[in-house]
Amino acid sequence: MAKANDLIFTSLKIVTWIIFVGLCIEAGGLVVNFIFSLYNPEFVRNLYQKLDLSEMYNRSKFIFFSMYSFILVISILKAVLFYILTLLVSKINLSNPFNKSVSKQITRISYYTLSIGLLSYLARQTANNLQHHGYSIDILDQFWADSQAFILMAAVIYVIAIIFSRGVELQTENDLTV
Amino acid sequence: MSIIVNLDVMMAKRKMSLNELSEKVDLTLSNLSILKTGKAKAIRFSTLEAICKVLDCQPGDILEYKRTVKK
Repeated sequence: MAKANDLIFTSLKIVTWIIFVGLCIEAGGLVVNFIFSLYNPEFVRNLYQKLDLSEMYNRSKFIFFSMYSFILVISILKAVLFYILTLLVSKINLSNPFNKSVSKQITRISYYTLSIGLLSYLARQTANNLQHHGYSIDILDQFWADSQAFILMAAVIYVIAIIFSRGVELQTENDLTV
Repeated sequence: MSIIVNLDVMMAKRKMSLNELSEKVDLTLSNLSILKTGKAKAIRFSTLEAICKVLDCQPGDILEYKRTVKK
């Protein structure tokens, strides 16, 4: 059982690192594109992953920057979320997992997940409103397709974090019983 | 906490060191230190019994309750 857990944790570490690096590249690409689009509007035609927002930029710069900020913040938050996850997976000690730092990190993960979920939901609603005004926003759907899943996941992780923090209290009590 | 541990007082009365008590009670030095400094959250009856036996005293000699006024 312990061997199986070790194997699962090692593979989890590798997977989280790969996803973290991928998300960092995506967030970095979007940030660089954002900076370029500030100084060179011609660049808006060919953003990260062939994202063409030139029509939106020409109609309203405010809407372009608002929607791009949503994309940027969501992708940065996703990268931060996976950074905390990589820290958690690398630092956790399975023989004594109930300690304050692990509990704190699980709580932080739930907050970040909720933030991503709420922001994605808000962005999607804003995008839907813009669609009524004739904007083409289909290309942006990929950035906030899973808002409800994130909100649900945040709720589940928060419950786990509360149970874990109670576990830490019990462990501390047990450690201080002589 | 309102419960005060007077283990150091009893040890001084019996002229016993922490090391000696730890050997006789079969408790680790760190656990005895936790108890002596008042950081312990709980004490097992078996531990209390062993300490009382070695120090030849009553549980009341080791543990004391002091009412604290909440501000």
